[in-house]
Amino acid sequence: MSFHLLGWLAVLCYAAAEAAAIVSLVSPRSRLAWLTPALIGAGLALHFRDLLLRARALNSVPYRTLGGSVSLFGWMLGIAFLVLLLRHREQAIGPFLIPFIMLTTAGGLLLPDAGSPPAEGTHGALFALHVTLGILAYAAFTFSFVLSILYLIQDRQLRRRQTGLLFSRLPALEVISRMNRTSVTVGLCALTCSLVIGLARASVIWTTLADPKITFAVVTAMVYGLLLWKQRRGWQGPKVAILSILGFGLVMFSYTIVNVYLSRAHRFR
Amino acid sequence: MNGVSEAKLLLLGWNFRTAAMAVRERVAFSSEEIPEALERIRADGLVTEGVIVATCNRSEIYGVVEREGASESLTRLISEWRGLDFGEAAAGSFYREDAEAARHLFRVAAGLDSLALGESEVLGQVRTALRLAREARATRAVLHRMFEGAVAAGKRVRTETEIARHPLSVPSIGFELATKVFGDLSERTILVLGAGETGTLFAEQASGAGAHDLRIANRSRARGEELAARIRGKLVPWEELARALPEADVVVGTTASPEPVVTKAAVEAAMRERRGRPMFFLDLAMPRDFEAGIGDLYNVYAYGLDDLREVAEENRRRRSREVPRAEAILEEELAKFLGWFGNLAVIPTLTGLQARLAQLRDAELARIPEGERERYRAFADSIAAKLLHEPMRRLKSETDASRKLDRVEAVRHLFDLDA
Repeated sequence: MSFHLLGWLAVLCYAAAEAAAIVSLVSPRSRLAWLTPALIGAGLALHFRDLLLRARALNSVPYRTLGGSVSLFGWMLGIAFLVLLLRHREQAIGPFLIPFIMLTTAGGLLLPDAGSPPAEGTHGALFALHVTLGILAYAAFTFSFVLSILYLIQDRQLRRRQTGLLFSRLPALEVISRMNRTSVTVGLCALTCSLVIGLARASVIWTTLADPKITFAVVTAMVYGLLLWKQRRGWQGPKVAILSILGFGLVMFSYTIVNVYLSRAHRFR
Repeated sequence: MNGVSEAKLLLLGWNFRTAAMAVRERVAFSSEEIPEALERIRADGLVTEGVIVATCNRSEIYGVVEREGASESLTRLISEWRGLDFGEAAAGSFYREDAEAARHLFRVAAGLDSLALGESEVLGQVRTALRLAREARATRAVLHRMFEGAVAAGKRVRTETEIARHPLSVPSIGFELATKVFGDLSERTILVLGAGETGTLFAEQASGAGAHDLRIANRSRARGEELAARIRGKLVPWEELARALPEADVVVGTTASPEPVVTKAAVEAAMRERRGRPMFFLDLAMPRDFEAGIGDLYNVYAYGLDDLREVAEENRRRRSREVPRAEAILEEELAKFLGWFGNLAVIPTLTGLQARLAQLRDAELARIPEGERERYRAFADSIAAKLLHEPMRRLKSETDASRKLDRVEAVRHLFDLDA
């Protein structure tokens, strides 16, 4: 199963969901609205099965390898998308979020699948929860990033009186803001829990907590914490979107450069 | 179609393209006058069915006629009734027959013939026209079907194209922009400055759109109170405007003040009090009610008349681009009606009836041994011919075109000839 047939079928489902979402965006009354969540759901089921097979082949959790980690990230994005869709009932965000699910899943299938031997203490249910929550947080922050971009686009269109197709289809600024807040709240809760679990375990099994990955995770949590705190105090508008984008920059740096080159304990390759 | 069907569709109308306002005013029919008008045009035997579409920009009489020259007689009747010179009435009128008459109605229902392209109100007016005609017992199968078809086509055009999507009126555009900032406006606070014509229009529109928290500020307290009471809003005393500003999410300027009534400094102060929550300013006044530069403030969205007119022009262009798609839908729906109407002719119906009987005969003959079939065929044909003779004679000799259509439709329905 190294070809990951099920994984590629999931990518196909996500691509079809993207096509349905675009049709729904262009013609909101096309009656295809139900197809997008249905296809994402089907993709997630196939994707989950592929992750299971991958875990069996590794005889370990699927995120032990870079490919597995990215693939799980894609799966979490799919789950987060469905939650966002069901919670806010805004179909218009689909075409902008689904490509991330599609690309990360495909990336996970193409990236190396051979894992290094597990580091000390990186096993067990608590470790699995720590990693899963961490990846869920990154998925939520990814959507926060996309929603922030959409916010800035809609804000720009409003200020420039550009009332074209995209303007009429994108949700109101207030709605995008609310969705962004949901994403950041979910992400921050997940990241904080992941950090607490990780730090608790690391303090037992490691001699030092001085790992760049931990530092970046703490900084990321602080940035998003600041964002939520400022929002609660009435801070709104493009500045929130920009801070959210900066936060995502940290997430990406932490997930790529730090994971691959800087961290010793959090290395997937 | 005329060659096939004995009855003819007719349209005689006056609209903003063909007639001057003075003529349109004389031939305009109110809802109360329409039953009388329908009675008059049918009493003279000019039409056997009739429907009158009356809007602020058009008076159109649709009818089923069975004799030549009906349009001239109708024009004469209307001009005499409304005290209008015949020549003047005829010069401002337009006339369509059969498919062209039906096509015109379908275009009217879709808003393609309206001054504001794609406007939705006219669809309701076409529906009302049919209802009034039905209540006056002035419609039968043909116009009923034609109007139902037009309404269905109008609905399809509005749902399948963007022709009615982009607003054209200045207040509607303002509303759309505010909705794109706040989403649902029903729970937002809307402050209208001025209780004049524009202020009243906007406040009524906002109230109709479901805004619950409407506040009116007007220099003349009495006038402000009157408007606030009418829309179930609250009055903000003019001298307390600065205090009311931070509570408002949407502020609409409609006063006749020569000086701006809301300064940039006042908005800055309001934004500080709102802790940066967005504000939306819509300036419908001339000269402007809001000081220039308000829109540059953080999280403040401000639009003036020029901005809205620019958007209206762009929206008009967008609607125009949808016309070919709308026309294609109309032709599709029109073809359905014309196909049905064409089938109402006597000859195709009788031919169809004979074919149906022959089909039944052949099906029964197939169950009989081959050697005996010819004998039974002659027997069956003889019965069918005798059975059909009288109904065919009666259908052909019917002189009332509408009654003939009703009967033809009944035959087609009973024998399922349209299957």
